[in-house]
Amino acid sequence: MSTSDTHLHIDNVSKTFGDVQALKGVDLEIKRGSFVCLLGPSGCGKTTLLRIIAGFENASSGHLMLDGIDISQMPPHKRGFGMVFQSLALFPHMSVAKNIAYGLKLRNISKAEQRNRVEELLNVIELPEIAERPVSALSGGQRQRVAIARALAIQPPLFLLDEPLSALDAKLRDNMQIELRQLQQKFGVTTILVTHDQHEAMMLADELVVLKDGEVYQSADPATVYQKPANSFVADFLGAANLVPAAVSKDGHVTVMGQEIACDTGQPVGTRLSAAMRAEHIGLVPVSMAKDHPVGAVKFLRDLGPATELVISVDGQDLRVRCDNATVPDLSIGAQVALSLDGSRLSVFRA
Amino acid sequence: MRVGLLPTEGKSTYRFTVLFLATIGILISSLPVVVVTIMSFSASDNTGFPPPELSLRWYWEVIAMFTQEDASSAQSVVDSTVTSLLVAFIVMAISTLVCIPLAYALARGDRRIREGMELLFTLPLVFPLVILGIAFLLIAESLRLEIGIWRIVIPHVALVLPFVLRNCIGAMNGISVETEEAAVSLGASPLRAIWDVVIPLMRAGILAGLIFALIISFNEFTITFFMYTIDVSTLPIWMYSRTVSSLDPSTLALSVFIIVADVVLIVLVDKLIAGRANLF
Amino acid sequence: MSISLSRPRALAFSLPAIIAILPFLGACFYIFRFSISADKGVIDGYSIQAYVDLMTPFFGRSVWLTLKLSFVATIIAMILAVPLAFLLTSLKSPLARRCLTVTILLPLILNLLVQAYGWILLLGPSGVLNSTLKGLGIIERPIFLLFNETGVLLGLIQTSLPLAVFPIVSSVRGLSQEHLEAASSLGASHWRTFVDVTVPLLRPGLVGAASIVFAFNASAFAIPLLLGGRRVQMMGVAIRDMISPLFNWSGAAAAGMILITLTLIVLVFASWLVRVTSEEVRG
Repeated sequence: MSTSDTHLHIDNVSKTFGDVQALKGVDLEIKRGSFVCLLGPSGCGKTTLLRIIAGFENASSGHLMLDGIDISQMPPHKRGFGMVFQSLALFPHMSVAKNIAYGLKLRNISKAEQRNRVEELLNVIELPEIAERPVSALSGGQRQRVAIARALAIQPPLFLLDEPLSALDAKLRDNMQIELRQLQQKFGVTTILVTHDQHEAMMLADELVVLKDGEVYQSADPATVYQKPANSFVADFLGAANLVPAAVSKDGHVTVMGQEIACDTGQPVGTRLSAAMRAEHIGLVPVSMAKDHPVGAVKFLRDLGPATELVISVDGQDLRVRCDNATVPDLSIGAQVALSLDGSRLSVFRA
Repeated sequence: MRVGLLPTEGKSTYRFTVLFLATIGILISSLPVVVVTIMSFSASDNTGFPPPELSLRWYWEVIAMFTQEDASSAQSVVDSTVTSLLVAFIVMAISTLVCIPLAYALARGDRRIREGMELLFTLPLVFPLVILGIAFLLIAESLRLEIGIWRIVIPHVALVLPFVLRNCIGAMNGISVETEEAAVSLGASPLRAIWDVVIPLMRAGILAGLIFALIISFNEFTITFFMYTIDVSTLPIWMYSRTVSSLDPSTLALSVFIIVADVVLIVLVDKLIAGRANLF
Repeated sequence: MSISLSRPRALAFSLPAIIAILPFLGACFYIFRFSISADKGVIDGYSIQAYVDLMTPFFGRSVWLTLKLSFVATIIAMILAVPLAFLLTSLKSPLARRCLTVTILLPLILNLLVQAYGWILLLGPSGVLNSTLKGLGIIERPIFLLFNETGVLLGLIQTSLPLAVFPIVSSVRGLSQEHLEAASSLGASHWRTFVDVTVPLLRPGLVGAASIVFAFNASAFAIPLLLGGRRVQMMGVAIRDMISPLFNWSGAAAAGMILITLTLIVLVFASWLVRVTSEEVRG
């Protein structure tokens, strides 16, 4: 991110399909050169939002401002945004080179220029030798890269991706995520990617936009979204969090599972809250060392190699805990253990 | 949607052209039937347009034709209708019974054999009907076959096989081998598994094929035109002989009955195979 | 696989259908044998006289007329069928889709006589079209659209339209919306997408549909008989006239062989074209 000016302003965009309201007044400012991930469960409106940006759907109300110019009514083929589709949508009747050159051909760019650009892009995606192959002869990862190259060939102001990695197997997906991120930085193109995979979103995004039921629940950098989720949905959606009831006990303190913890909520005393704790933010201490810490019984235990995953039942509520193997006390199923909670890593929301 | 085969939003010459041509297509498809229907309600004795007055008189006349036997005509409308229906039902039964096992064998058998057989059973669809009519007539005449109603049934079966087979194969395609294997693993013999699992799952496709056979045979004109005799004749032939010189409104009323029956049957087929298979 | 179809069982399952189609194959053979018979009335000896006798200007005109009308009808049917297939696959409401399906399919299945009646009522001298035009004062004397090539052409287009629409519908179903959107995102307008993406991807289906429509039209009999009268001698009608008033069986058989050969050439050529093009678009 060299500059931080707004590239695309999504201004109060709503969309209804019949009776269904797919988007409810979405307002986002997307910075030039940033990588934005639209994240949410299926049906949250993330794909609809991307399709409105691409121009395949009209917004029912609201505007899209690209560099201050309203493009809401511009047909998709005039927008010139590169897009990578879920199915990739490579043209099966064209070779790899023809696929990549198609957008250039439509722009009346000379044959020689087209050839140079295709060659350049094939080098960037590290597949210089496949130009004349038919699309059907490519592997999944190669198709992926060709689809990206085709979209980037037209030097788009915006680069849109609709769950492009969802069809790949896990290992290939991890590699492609890194490659995609590197490509995006190399081209410096403002990028919007739709995904339902929180891990993918965390890997790629400069800015994470969490959507649910057509509304933006939180929009911030990934670390903030993870550490300081704006509400219980975001906390839960990004890496299953433990949600427990809490209450403001005195100014600057909350009570969680009987323990009073320093945590500034800005809410009056007695307000009922819910607190979210990441599994890896809960510490384990021997019961003998526990003072007023909550105590529970180990219900499930599994050594995952670098860490140990536990389920601990406290007053009938199951909590997931993940500990480094170095710090986990010797435990077995049914053993009693005390939990240590860190107020600075606690996220609290109004219940 | 702003992009698509038929974009739903936005104004463009593309969308206009597609809709305009589709409208012409719909008009060409439907106008003859619409006009026949309108004219059948005419009160006038001739078929001039527009009808001066509307009435049901021709419908009463058709009903009278069926209820009051007219001894003077050599081949009565009742006889031809009965023959038509009889032929259609026999054709329907035979074609379905032979196509179900074939569809199973093709779906589960060798891929190359399947392609060859599918081609063979598509032939009657593209084979000129006139030639077929003449050929069957030649065989029947030169072998001096006295086979009554079968001289129409046999060619009709050949004619409907492609349609029935397509529907049965379409129904088979949706049935995985695993469902059959599940039945076998539970103790059913392979034949029993077909009877208990495959046939019930094929039901919609089989029914669609049955109805297709029924309508095609009942409406067939060209082959029957060569094969009919004074004793064995169908409704379309009766209509032809009645209207060869001029068109009279009672035939139009009779046509409307046929149209209604066909529409009902096609809707049934469409419901049965709704979205799951192709009509052809 | 625990259930593999044994060869004897596969044969047993196929046998009834093969028996059912045997008369058809027999008929095909019989026509061929009759066409090279030395006698005009019965199968006797071998001769190509029947074919030689067909080399007349009259029969040549009939072949030319058949090819011309079938070709024109096929082109027009295809131009109408593609938009109809697009419309049919875009309709959301099941009721509308069903109505359109019935409307398109009916002409193929409905008794051809009923449809001929419809065209006679529409295009006849006192029919709908002429009465309307006369009522509007556009024409004074009825225009003759019936018992000439125009009437036959309309009838052919109408009855063969469903054979074009439904195969195209199944190819259209296989077309992914994302391909069209991809073209659009790269800058292609609706028309450009149609030419560059839609048509190439549909090409195998289009060629297949067109070949079946052409074969169907070339061998039409009832439509030219009922709408063309004696004046439009398409091959189907010409062949029938050879046997009905003339009793020239071997001549009819030979003419039939020529008609079959013509349609087979078109079908084989089309299936070759489909194979070539679908190798290209296999995705």
